[in-house]
Amino acid sequence: MSQEYQKTNNTDFSVIGKSAQMIDGTAKVMGTAIYADDIKLPGMLYGKILRSPHAHARIVRIDTSRAMALLGVKAIITGKDTPVKYGILPIGQDETALAVDKVIYVGQEIAAVAAITEEIAEQALDLIDVEYELLPAYLNADAAMAATDIFIHNDRPKNIEKEYHHNFGDIEKGFAQSDLVLEDKFSFPRITHAAMEPHSAVANYDASGKLTVWTSTQTPHYVHRGLAKALQMHPSKVRVIKPFVGGGFGGKSETFSCDVCSSLLSKLTGKPVKITFTREEVFYAHRGRPDQSVHIKLGMRKDGKITSVYVKTIQDGGAFCSYGVVTILYSGALIAALYDIDNIKFDGYRVVTNKPACGPMRGHGTVNVRYSFEVMLDRLAIGLGLDPAEVRLKNMLKPNTRTVNDLRVTSYGYKECVEKATEHSGWAEKRDKLPFGRGIGIGGSHYVSGAANSIVRGRMPHSNVSIKIDIDGGVSVFTGTAEIGQGTETVQAQIVAEELGLPLERIRVIAADSDITPVDLGSYSSRVTFMAGNAALFAARDVKNQLLRHAAEVLGESPEHLICKNERIYVEYDRERSITFREALISALEHSGTVIGKGAYTPPSESQGGRFKGAGVGPGVAYSYSASVADVSVNPETGQVRVNKIWVAHDCGRALNPLAVEGQVEGSVWMGLGQALQEEQIFTPEGLTLNPSLLEYKSPGAIESPDIETIIVESIDPEGPFGAKEAGEGSLAGVIPAIANAVYDAVGVWITSLPITPEKILKELNKQKAEQKKK
Amino acid sequence: MITMPQFRVLQPENVSQAVEFLAKHKNLRVLAGGSDLVVNLRNKLFTPEYVLDIKGIKDLQGIKENQDHFSIGTLTTLTEISQNPFIKEIYPVLAKAAGLVAGPNIRNMGTIGGNICLDTRCYWYNQSYFWRKSCNFCLKKDGDICHVAPGGKYCWAAYSGDTAPALLTLDASIKIANPKGEKTLALKDFFVMDGIKKYNLESNEIITEILIPKASAGLQGVYKKFRIRDSVDYPLAGVAIAGKVDKEGNCQKISVALTAVNPAPVLVTEITDLLVGKKLTDDLVEKSVELARKTAKPMKTTLSTMPYRRHMIGVFVKQGLEEILK
Ligand SMILES: Cc1cc2nc3c(=O)[nH]c(=O)nc-3n(C[C@H](O)[C@H](O)[C@H](O)COP(=O)(O)OP(=O)(O)OC[C@H]3O[C@@H](n4cnc5c(N)ncnc54)[C@H](O)[C@@H]3O)c2cc1C
Ligand code: SF4
Repeated sequence: MSQEYQKTNNTDFSVIGKSAQMIDGTAKVMGTAIYADDIKLPGMLYGKILRSPHAHARIVRIDTSRAMALLGVKAIITGKDTPVKYGILPIGQDETALAVDKVIYVGQEIAAVAAITEEIAEQALDLIDVEYELLPAYLNADAAMAATDIFIHNDRPKNIEKEYHHNFGDIEKGFAQSDLVLEDKFSFPRITHAAMEPHSAVANYDASGKLTVWTSTQTPHYVHRGLAKALQMHPSKVRVIKPFVGGGFGGKSETFSCDVCSSLLSKLTGKPVKITFTREEVFYAHRGRPDQSVHIKLGMRKDGKITSVYVKTIQDGGAFCSYGVVTILYSGALIAALYDIDNIKFDGYRVVTNKPACGPMRGHGTVNVRYSFEVMLDRLAIGLGLDPAEVRLKNMLKPNTRTVNDLRVTSYGYKECVEKATEHSGWAEKRDKLPFGRGIGIGGSHYVSGAANSIVRGRMPHSNVSIKIDIDGGVSVFTGTAEIGQGTETVQAQIVAEELGLPLERIRVIAADSDITPVDLGSYSSRVTFMAGNAALFAARDVKNQLLRHAAEVLGESPEHLICKNERIYVEYDRERSITFREALISALEHSGTVIGKGAYTPPSESQGGRFKGAGVGPGVAYSYSASVADVSVNPETGQVRVNKIWVAHDCGRALNPLAVEGQVEGSVWMGLGQALQEEQIFTPEGLTLNPSLLEYKSPGAIESPDIETIIVESIDPEGPFGAKEAGEGSLAGVIPAIANAVYDAVGVWITSLPITPEKILKELNKQKAEQKKK
Repeated sequence: MITMPQFRVLQPENVSQAVEFLAKHKNLRVLAGGSDLVVNLRNKLFTPEYVLDIKGIKDLQGIKENQDHFSIGTLTTLTEISQNPFIKEIYPVLAKAAGLVAGPNIRNMGTIGGNICLDTRCYWYNQSYFWRKSCNFCLKKDGDICHVAPGGKYCWAAYSGDTAPALLTLDASIKIANPKGEKTLALKDFFVMDGIKKYNLESNEIITEILIPKASAGLQGVYKKFRIRDSVDYPLAGVAIAGKVDKEGNCQKISVALTAVNPAPVLVTEITDLLVGKKLTDDLVEKSVELARKTAKPMKTTLSTMPYRRHMIGVFVKQGLEEILK
């Protein structure tokens, strides 16, 4: 399929650029949407998983006989039934669904039970006897790296999953040319996605040997691969269906034990089996943002130009690799694609520890380093007597450049983002001018709009869409994409509707069923609108060309002169001559039957990055840009922070559905707000998660939400569908430093560890007072 | 979801029937709005044979006037108490406290009686069975150690109800029904400074009414609550204050109670002794703050720290006294 991008000078859109309600929204609001846990099949059994109480221990013996004897228990599996290792990355095949030989974190799966009720399955867990021999547990990166003999994975000496050392330009030369160089250490706790819906899978292994799994996932294709591998089945015998999903944010981007265990238990019992995680189990499945330390050194000239940046960062990734190698690489690579920086040195370490595995989380890899960078940028600006917003403007990249680490930046709306965010927030009138206790701060961020390289290297397209139109006049769009609440189905429907000149309600989307829909890599790296959007556009163009050929015959015109609009096909230069879409369709059907078309998207090779080790992660087919300004109040007596308002200007290329863009930006603000002020996963000294509930893990609620003003910036990307880029992740990382920088503007203290709690602020304020007294 | 333990549900239609059930069945738990009990059942903190669902007893709902008291039926919801114009007018401290419990949907379910009888809280205790078993349980349930104060035999779990401190400042009492009949107990004698025993209520007793003296009507009141999220969260430190000044501006009446910083809600009677008859001065505020801070003994039972919770008690006492007495 040819990859000709839409000519973007055309702005006379009917569907694109209009705020449209989500096409699957009504079902959700009315409560009729079917999520994995809503599925009930005849004879279905319920599965429950026994988990490890120890952070690191050898399994000496497992005895399931007492549990098996419980009335209603139908099957029990243990590690010996799940010997095959899998993992999302080809270089990280280190997981089994149930622990084999040893456990490596509290909450790790040991055995799974299927029973006729959930209650019986849960009771059976308590009857499984496990004998352990304790091993030393490494509960943070320092402890893990100091290990000398016993390692968590034998093939990861010193418990280091991966380390990268990148050096672009000459940082020492840059620092020497600086008027001010500052360095500091920042630390970040581990945080989690807290998607509303917990992981859930229903598996049905039928008599013909075919396995069907309905699972709550954002990457059905990778689950398909993972299951086939873990179960050693031919992929064609495995069908993965994604029903409605209640949020992912990165936390459902790979194969989970509920998928594998429900499948195996179904195979053993010949009955469908459902396993839904409890909220607590979601915390053990985790895959959230790692605990991380960031040592950063930044230099600036007195005119505000950034000279050099050095970052050393260590991530405590937990027990498995998961996406960890990607996370650590993103931390380094994306330093380069927001500002124009000539000299960058990066040392990154991904460490294995005895805690639940981390993974991708909204803003994957970039958020903590971005926080450190944006706060240091403010400190340098203040140190040199410059305006922080001006300093950002001083360091802009240019559109269509390659960065020092060989990332290809195409459209670049960051400058406009900073300008708009400061303008709308009244920055110039407020910065440095608000009374003590009130402040305003800025933070910038960006994100890949689709990773240019797939997880499994190869030349396959990243997105495929096919379209069928039949006599009913409805357009069926078959797509492998995973709608998880962000609006991917709506946006593909909009693109197809626009291209075919049809109203949105004529389009129906059939998605994420491996037996029916073509492959799409999934909802991660903010790739869907860009990649599947392009595939949908190409597929629509394919069917359109078929229809235009027939319309051309009827109209006696060449197809190039025809356009589709308002359910009609017009001669572009003579609008008086037209036929209805339906007439063209009938003519096509009479001639050769059902109209079928397809489209595929493969990233261009120029976007795929440099040649150095680790260069594969960081390249995006485009980048989104964002600037946040926060207005906060800090109570100096209690240290409590109230965010009054946040302005976010986000460059999403073109807003195909402005309502959806605003929704994504607001969601990013809330998630950023949580990480900035209150979220943190805490562990007991033995490695047990202390707050595995939504009551004690403090994600903000509606009342905590500030006013949010979203300003959409449209840089019109040359390769995005109708010029679109991502909107789901790019704003998050800027929100957090904007708040921190505003706290400084309010009360004059810097907080170097997240979350910015009232206590930390009070402590700094007390120090400040003590120092003032001395003076 | 975590499953429920199995039990039988008893649904009495009136108090005497409820008392009959209480006399007959030993291993029983009372269910009102269920917003605390159901969570605890799922966590297998309680595994009763019977659950006595009193929600259907009409007599236990609503606000009535007696000779010396106003009586609030135990099943009256927190939403009603926080929004009732009469309560807001005469017992503002109570309306404010009730309005700050959890979030709106829980206030619609939660009752005043259930709020008073809230179980004490500790992050080593309010966890699933698996979780508690992973660290060998604790003194309060199924175990023999305290993770908060290892070596001790005392449970520091924090009493975390919002309305009890408000009711304490109003000198409230509760009416209790049991197989022997009825009795009335001053609320301050109801609570016990022990995270396990919590309060003086036998397993065959239920609370039927909360009595607030008319003498407390018209006191000004404030309730201040420290929590991480205003959307929904238990108090990590809370201060209720009721009082008034006389014509000369001297403190005529003042009552200060703390919650969430001890295993029971407590009145800081020393502050009453200190302030009554006097004009509030900065020095008296400072002394009151000190007295409150001394009374507050939060332990590491929550994610917030002990010094900060104590600090917030002081901030609230200062703010509250200044609002009422200045
Ligand atoms: C997410 C969440 C947040 C919460 N936040 C708060 C908060 O901020 N502040 C707060 O105070 N509470 C909070 N709660 C706890 C609870 O919702 C309230 O305390 C509520 O008022 C309890 O009332 P209920 O009727 O639902 O009690 P139930 O759950 O029905 O009962 C609670 C306890 O009281 C006993 N009981 C109830 N009625 C009687 C009676 N008449 N006689 C004898 N015993 C009785 C029950 O046996 C049980 O042990 C929260 C709960 C949740 C789930
Ligand atoms: S204070 Fe100690 S005994 Fe009480 S609940 Fe907490 S850990 Fe258990």
